[in-house]
Amino acid sequence: MMSVRRGLMLIAPLALVLAAFFLVPVLMLLPTSFSEYMPGSGLAKGVWTLENYTRIVTDEYYREVVLRTLGLGLSVTLVCLVLGYPLAFLIARGPERWRLPLILLVIFPMMLNLVVRSFGWIALLANRGLVNNLLIQMGLISAPIKLMFNLTGLMIGMTHIYLPFMVLMLVAAIRNVPRDVEAAAATLGSSRLHVFTSVTLPLSAPGILAGSILVFVLTISALVTPRMLGGPTYRVMATLIYDEYMQLLDWPSGSALSFALTIMAIGIIWLSSRLTKRWAGMA
Amino acid sequence: MSPDRETHPGLGVTIAAFAVIVFLQVPVIVVVLAAFSTTSYLTIPPQGLTLSWFGKVLSDPTYLSAIRMSLILAFGSTAISLALGVASAYALFRRSVPGSEAIISFLMAPLVLPAVVIGVALLQFYSLTGLRGSLIGLLLAHVVITVPYIVRSALASLSGLDLAVEEAARVLGATGFEAFRLVTLPLIRPGLVAGALFAFITSLDNVPVTIFLIGANQTTLPVLIFSSVEMGVDPSVAAISTLLIVATGIILLLAERRAGFHRFV
Repeated sequence: MMSVRRGLMLIAPLALVLAAFFLVPVLMLLPTSFSEYMPGSGLAKGVWTLENYTRIVTDEYYREVVLRTLGLGLSVTLVCLVLGYPLAFLIARGPERWRLPLILLVIFPMMLNLVVRSFGWIALLANRGLVNNLLIQMGLISAPIKLMFNLTGLMIGMTHIYLPFMVLMLVAAIRNVPRDVEAAAATLGSSRLHVFTSVTLPLSAPGILAGSILVFVLTISALVTPRMLGGPTYRVMATLIYDEYMQLLDWPSGSALSFALTIMAIGIIWLSSRLTKRWAGMA
Repeated sequence: MSPDRETHPGLGVTIAAFAVIVFLQVPVIVVVLAAFSTTSYLTIPPQGLTLSWFGKVLSDPTYLSAIRMSLILAFGSTAISLALGVASAYALFRRSVPGSEAIISFLMAPLVLPAVVIGVALLQFYSLTGLRGSLIGLLLAHVVITVPYIVRSALASLSGLDLAVEEAARVLGATGFEAFRLVTLPLIRPGLVAGALFAFITSLDNVPVTIFLIGANQTTLPVLIFSSVEMGVDPSVAAISTLLIVATGIILLLAERRAGFHRFV
């Protein structure tokens, strides 16, 4: 056995780095979020207020941004699920020799720099981008359609970015479904669709939940893609935080939004772990 | 009707799956095509082919210093994270300290928090302590965001290990560190390679933390691309992106050959 003293010596360096450069900075954001913003001078001294938080709910613009963020998270998750399931199914249950090339084609875009992938979508979706060019050439439209700086652009880009995560989670989940249970259902006369809806789908439900939570949390936290495809005007929570810090210099409001976003992310994760435990209890 | 056929993916599923695979590669292909195209906006078919954008990027001092900065941060933070993360994971694996569950949650916490929140928290902290724009500040920020990947892969690799092998080395006269270096480390190496690769890519990819912490004359490659895109589509961005795409592809194939990378994703 290793002595407690030795163990602590091994863990201490990392624990200290994380305490000093993660825990303390995040906790120091807390008093800022209850401070009052003074245009020009920064924080008002000795004044505490809840207004930075109440504004998120009462102010019409903030509310719109929060709802847009949640709506985007939900729709990106659903689209990833619908697009990801067939691919995951093919990887898990398809021909053995296809498995590795397919998995590598899923991992490759995932490993690729986020700004590069977002840039690719700009080249496709911009007013003078490839999609509009093609549609005009084919005579389907006469003026470019707006595919960026709106929900469409964000949906396409974010779905592309987070789809690989969903696929990999689903592959693991589908591979956990015992094949002989499916075969048994098929032997007993179930159609392919019925085998899927009555056996495969329910048995892969925990993986579906895990993948959905992951994609949802990643989507609502994302800054880079929403900024690049949404521009400075079509904002989500993360890009609003970015602007409050970098442009408006309203740190109190930005830090309150930061905590709101953090609580949403952690709350979702906590809720799903409760749900998973309850499922495990029923089985 | 064979039951086996019923559990295999049908034609519809296969076609849908391949369509999704194509969708995943589309922006990558578009970026590569744009890098070789003479026009600033890509057309199909391309108007003409050129290599000039690559020459332009590789002779631009702004891009070169951004690339240098990104590589320093990625190599530096991966090395620091490896040293700190493997040491912690090993102590946790040997169950030497009480409360290991809580410690693991703490070490993984930077993965749960939105990166932009870590970014603004460090912005305020560095502004107060004067670390903003310093290399050490940036390095440690990158350690915070990369170390969970190392801890996770090290813990996963160690969990499959039999303590008795290391004990045997100790009995044969090896010191604790020798036993770790000569016996345990080689056994967990594939997992660590995968974890280090994740850490490296995470550092090289990062914008939401870095952008708040860089000084006036500093930038990293992704931050440079991120901010230059606001000015519109620039073919030099496509050229530098193409270089990144090729590098990522090569690294992924090497990691797959050497360590069976896909098993660790």
